[in-house]
Parts: sequence; C-alpha cells; structure tokens
Amino acid sequence: MPVTSRARLSWLRALPLLARPITLTMPWPALLAGCLAGIAYLAVLAHLGGTLQPLGPGNLRLAFLPAIAAVAFVPRAPFRPLTQTTPVPAWVGPAGQLLLAAPILALTCWAQLLIVAHTSPPHTLSHPAAYPVIAQFTGWCAVTVAAAACTGRSRYADLGGAVAAPVGFAAVALAWYAPITGRFMAEPPATSRGVTVAWYAVASFASVLTFVAMRDQWHHYSRKVR
Amino acid sequence: MSVLRPRTVLGLARAEAWLLVRSLLVLAGLLAGGFALWLYFRQMEQPTWWDAAWRIGWGQLILGMAVLAAAQLAAGRVRRNGLADLYASFPATAPTRTLAHLAGLAGAVPASLLLAGAVTAVLQARGAFGTPDLAVLAGGPLLVIAAGAAGVAIGSRFPHPLAGALGALALLFSSVTSHLTSGAAIWLAPWQLEADQLANLPGPLAGYPPARAHAMELACLAVLAGIVALAVTVRHTRTWGGLAAAGLVAVAAICFAGVLQLRPIPTAGLNQLVSEVAALASVQRCTSASQVRYCLYPGFGAQLPSLEAPVDAVLAHLPARPAQPLTVRQVAGLSLPDSTLTHGHPEPEVSQWTAQVQRAPGNASAAPASAIYVPLAWAGGGQLADAHFDLALAAAEWAVRLPGAGGVFTSGEEFQPCVPVDQAREAVAIWLAILATHPPAGELEAGLGGLGTGRGFQGVEVGNALVPAWNSPGSGSVIPPGGGPQTTAVGYLLAKEMTGLPEARVERILDGAWPAWLNWRTTDARLAAALGLAVPRVSAPSLPPRVTGPDASPPQAAVCQ
Repeated sequence: MPVTSRARLSWLRALPLLARPITLTMPWPALLAGCLAGIAYLAVLAHLGGTLQPLGPGNLRLAFLPAIAAVAFVPRAPFRPLTQTTPVPAWVGPAGQLLLAAPILALTCWAQLLIVAHTSPPHTLSHPAAYPVIAQFTGWCAVTVAAAACTGRSRYADLGGAVAAPVGFAAVALAWYAPITGRFMAEPPATSRGVTVAWYAVASFASVLTFVAMRDQWHHYSRKVR
Repeated sequence: MSVLRPRTVLGLARAEAWLLVRSLLVLAGLLAGGFALWLYFRQMEQPTWWDAAWRIGWGQLILGMAVLAAAQLAAGRVRRNGLADLYASFPATAPTRTLAHLAGLAGAVPASLLLAGAVTAVLQARGAFGTPDLAVLAGGPLLVIAAGAAGVAIGSRFPHPLAGALGALALLFSSVTSHLTSGAAIWLAPWQLEADQLANLPGPLAGYPPARAHAMELACLAVLAGIVALAVTVRHTRTWGGLAAAGLVAVAAICFAGVLQLRPIPTAGLNQLVSEVAALASVQRCTSASQVRYCLYPGFGAQLPSLEAPVDAVLAHLPARPAQPLTVRQVAGLSLPDSTLTHGHPEPEVSQWTAQVQRAPGNASAAPASAIYVPLAWAGGGQLADAHFDLALAAAEWAVRLPGAGGVFTSGEEFQPCVPVDQAREAVAIWLAILATHPPAGELEAGLGGLGTGRGFQGVEVGNALVPAWNSPGSGSVIPPGGGPQTTAVGYLLAKEMTGLPEARVERILDGAWPAWLNWRTTDARLAAALGLAVPRVSAPSLPPRVTGPDASPPQAAVCQ
C-alpha cells in the first residue's frame, strides 16, 4: 500500500477509541423522546378508537413526525473547527451518531407498524401496504438528516436541528400536497411501487448530499478573524 | 423580592414581538397555512361562509404550530445558551422576561390577521355564499395566541428545540384525532379537522360550531398557559399562591366554556335543517335552460353556469333528446345519525330526523331516471374538471337512456349498479362526455386501474363472468339518473377510439340510426363496424368458483336494459 494511502487511512485505527465518546455525545434524550412520542401517540389512538376505527397509513405517517423531528438533532459536530484539526476526519462523529440512531429508528418504525397492524383487520397492512410506508419513513429521515448536515456546515450550525426539523416537515408536506410532486410521491394517485421507488430515490439523493455536507472542510467564518 | 416593572416588561415585550414578527418560522407558518387553505379552496365551486370560516382555522392551526415553536425557542433561549447566570445578574428578572415573552405574542397577531383577512377577501371576491361569522374568524387569532403561550410555557421549562417541535405536533395531533370523540366533544379540541358536516349544510346552523364558547375556551387556554409559564419561573411562595388561584379560575373558565360547547343544538334549527334537506321542492328555486331544469338552494345561483356548461355541451351533440326532460337538482348530502348534530336530543326525535334525512333525495337509493343529483360540495376537495366530466357523463347516460335500471340492492342495502355489457350506447355516452369536457387522457386511462398498466385487473361479476370495469374520472361527484351504470373497460376503449375519428363523421353515423344505437341489444361490434373500427379486446381472468354459505360471494351485477 502506498505511504499516502496508509497515512490517509491511519485514522481508522482510532475508531474503536471513538466509539465511547460518540455514544456519550449522542443526543439520546432527544432521539428517544421523539421516537417514544410517536409510539405513545399511536398507542393512545389504538386504545381510544382502534377497535372501532382501525388505524391506517395516515395515522402511521403522523406518528413518524416526532421521530423525524428528533433525528434532525442527531448529526451534530460540536467544536467542529477544533475537530477538523485532528487526524480523524470531522465527519466521523456525526456519521457514527447516525449509525447509532439507525437501529433506534428502525425499531420505532417496526413498533409503530406493529401497533397499527394490531388494530387492523387481518391482511390489511400486510407486506404490500407496509413497504411504501417504510420507504416514506426512510426518505423523510434522509431528507431531514441532509437538511441538518447542510445547516451544520453553515453559519447557523448551532441551530442545525431547529432548522432541519421544520425543513423536513415542509419537505414532507410539499412532497405530499403539492400537485406536481403529489402525483409521484403520494398514494393515491401514485402506486405503492411508484411511491416506494420515489422515496428511496429521494433517500439516496439526500444521503449523498449528507455525505458531501459532512465531508465539507469549509470554515464558518465569512471574513478574516483578526 | 422581585418587582415587575411595567415599563421594563413593555420594552422587552416590544423587542420580543418584533423578533416574532421577523421570525422565519412564523413567516414559514404563514406561508404553509396559506398554502394549505389554497389547496382546500382552489377547487371549490362556490364556498359557503358557514363552512369556509371554520376551514380558515386550519391555516391558523398551521400558523399556530409555527408560533408555538418560535415562542418556545425564544423562551428557552437563555437556558439553551447556558446564560442563565448572566441573565440573573440583569435588572429584568426571569418572571419579567416571561411576562415580556407572553406580551410579545402580540407579534404573531399580524400574521394571523393577515392570513384570515387575505383568505376572507379572496373568498368574498369569489362569491362565497352567506356572511362570515366573526366569532368563528376570531377563534383563529385566539388559537395562534394560545399556541404561542403554550410555546412560552414549554420553553420556560424545556429549552431544547425538540420540545417546541413536539409541542407543535401535539397541537396537530389533538386536532386531527378529534373524530375519535363523539357528539359535541369534537369542538373541545383546539381546532377540530373534518369531523363535522359543515360542508353538507344548505345554510348556517346556530350552535354548529359553538363559535363563541370555543373562542372563550381558546382565550382561557392562552391565559392558563401564561400562568403555567409564569409559575415555572417564579420563585416566591406568595406569588405562587396568586398564580395557583388564577390558574384555578382559568381551569374553571375552560370547563365552563366546554360545558357551553356541549349544549345541544336548538330543536328549531335542526327541524329547519331536516326540512331543507328532505323537502327540496319547498326550498329550492328551479330555472330552465335549454329544456333542462336546474333546481338549486337559494343563494347558490353562482353554481348554475358551472352546471350548465357540461350538460349543454353534451346536449349540443345529441341528434334527439329523451321525451322526459332532465332535471339537475342540488342535494345537501347531509348524513344522519350524527351525534355531533343531534346530541342531547330525545331518541324518538333523533330517529324521526334520521328517517326523514335518510329518505331525502340524494340519500335514498338512487336518483329518478330523469334527474341528476349534485351534492352541495360536489367539487369540494376534489378536481373540478373531474366533477364536470362526471356530470357530463351522467347527462350523456340520460341522453342514451342508460340509467341504472336493472341495478340491484345487496342485503346491506348497498346499491349495486347494472353493467352495460357489450352495449353500443355506453361507448356513445362516454364519447359524448369526453367531447363535452375534454378531460386529460391520463385521467381517463387511470380509470382502467391495473388493466391500463398491464399489472392488474378490476372487474365486476356479471352472469358468471368477470367484466373488466372502467372507473370514470370524478366518479361519485354526482348521483346519475337511476344510480348510473358501472362503465366497462371495453366501452371506454371504444369511445377513446371514436375520439380519434373526425367528429362530424361519428355524428353523421350516429344521427343516421340514433334509435338503433340507443337499443340495449345493439352491440359494440355493430358500432365499431359502422365506424370502421375494431372492437377493443380486453382479456379477463376466469371466475373462481362461487362460495355458498355465510361467506357467500356478493350478488352478481345485472345487465343494463
């Protein structure tokens, strides 16, 4: 292996050491509060009216929103100007936090699907109905994370989550209700397959954007510090 | 002991109000609220103020969510930035700052008034029927202020921005789940969405919604949230006592407002409503145009051109009309039993109203063979162009004598329409409707469902065979004569091919043997041969064996005759 590549990848050896600080700096209260709020909302709905009126994808999508708001606060790189000077790339921290958040979000999605399936008559939320919903959740999370990562690289880095959460909501609402996008991203009129493909495409694009934003080396200062 | 200096409070409040006026979140909420209202009202033919005034509250709810988040961010600013100790050294105490945040909510009022005012002006310019109820409209700004006060209360205790987002979502959830409650309890939510029948009322109904009591509830909620916000920041026991007493008074006032909202709607109002819905002839005004009678509720005259246009366009292509004249009649579409309307009234009275409404035109089985029923909110929330196509198709079905005669009722009293299998008049009717309204080809194709994309099949069982079906755009916007038939995929595909031919040529061929084309025995093949077309082929899967017993298959549809 060439010397430059070896030097470039030497930070990989530091990864095990980083696991603990990344876990400790993870915004667990915010993430868990968001995930549990959605589950609690569905549980209350199921308790109040689930037997009379089965919960549907609409309720499920609403229940995703608190988790979407919470995920906006996950990718954070505090003291970025300092961490950028260390041998380990600055994006490793936020990326590690996103990796830690992924199973929590998957668990939340699974629990919410389970609650809705529990109130539905058999076979109404089986595989064909659930997969577009999972695609939407993935897409919404990815868009919100991308917004947070982009804000994190702007002069409003401290407000990353506070900006990304409403941006994520706005993106979801626009995709759903705007006449142009609604045709491809909302079901109906789009088919389940179309919705799934569209949201996974959005998620892929948002992930690339997140990756680019997190690797960005630009300093926040708009003018020279004297 | 801290002293609240009014001048300090006013000065800080002015600054906070200015920040709220300039807040990007509030501006985004204003735009989102306006966008939501535009989506709702853009397709509405003629809005009615008793419905529209409450719907404006939807936009206010979205603005309120943004104001809640902005107020939470503002109130939590000191603790979020870790500057509590620094601020404690300032002359303005924490309760003073909280009071200033609460007074600064005045900065959200211009946005709320702008939203309500702009939508009101647009609706008025579009000829909305009736007069706006100021008490309902006033509820909007009160909702925004109450949401902002809740944001201040949340921010005083929880500075993390997520708390504001969750608070805003809680406000949304409380409104979208109001349908889970029953009776008048739907009005207890901050702003209930879609659990009412306001759009189906032919006129305003006193006490529905209970606007004044609801406005009082919102005002008291705002006061209570303000008291909670102050209680979080105040440290003195004596002040705590005063706040607790004020809080109890606010809770009592909220309960009182709740009780007022739960009062039954006056019997006289409900009697009048039921008579307006059930006895159409006594209330509606009829006008004749092109030998078609249009019967509308008083004040809905502005809808007449929109109804006339598709019907006239169909009639213009007809060689001859049926002997019995067509009547296009507006129906209310009110549905009973509905506890949000009849709560608190004796059971016999409710049963009587329910029976009357269920027998009313539009709610009863089907329209007569020479009448089309148009619901009050016929294009509400849907595509106006689709509704026009549905009306044109209904008129065309009347013109080719293709009402749903032969339709049957299932054991559940659900009307199952007949199917014009291999009948030329069906293709003629669809062709007339397409010529009259020129709907987008994509929407017509979408009616084939999976058949259009080769990935599925939708059909109806007729005579032990599956007939591929076609659902017309806007299907269900109007109630066609005799309930209307279930259109078939072959009929649509043949009509589509007919639209590719010169119009004059098709008209000449139809004119030449019009009575023959109206005969239910005249087949698609004969029409296609006359036009020089091939009959479209649609393959249908074979029917599974019929199940007998308790899980028996639904009855088969009949062939239209």
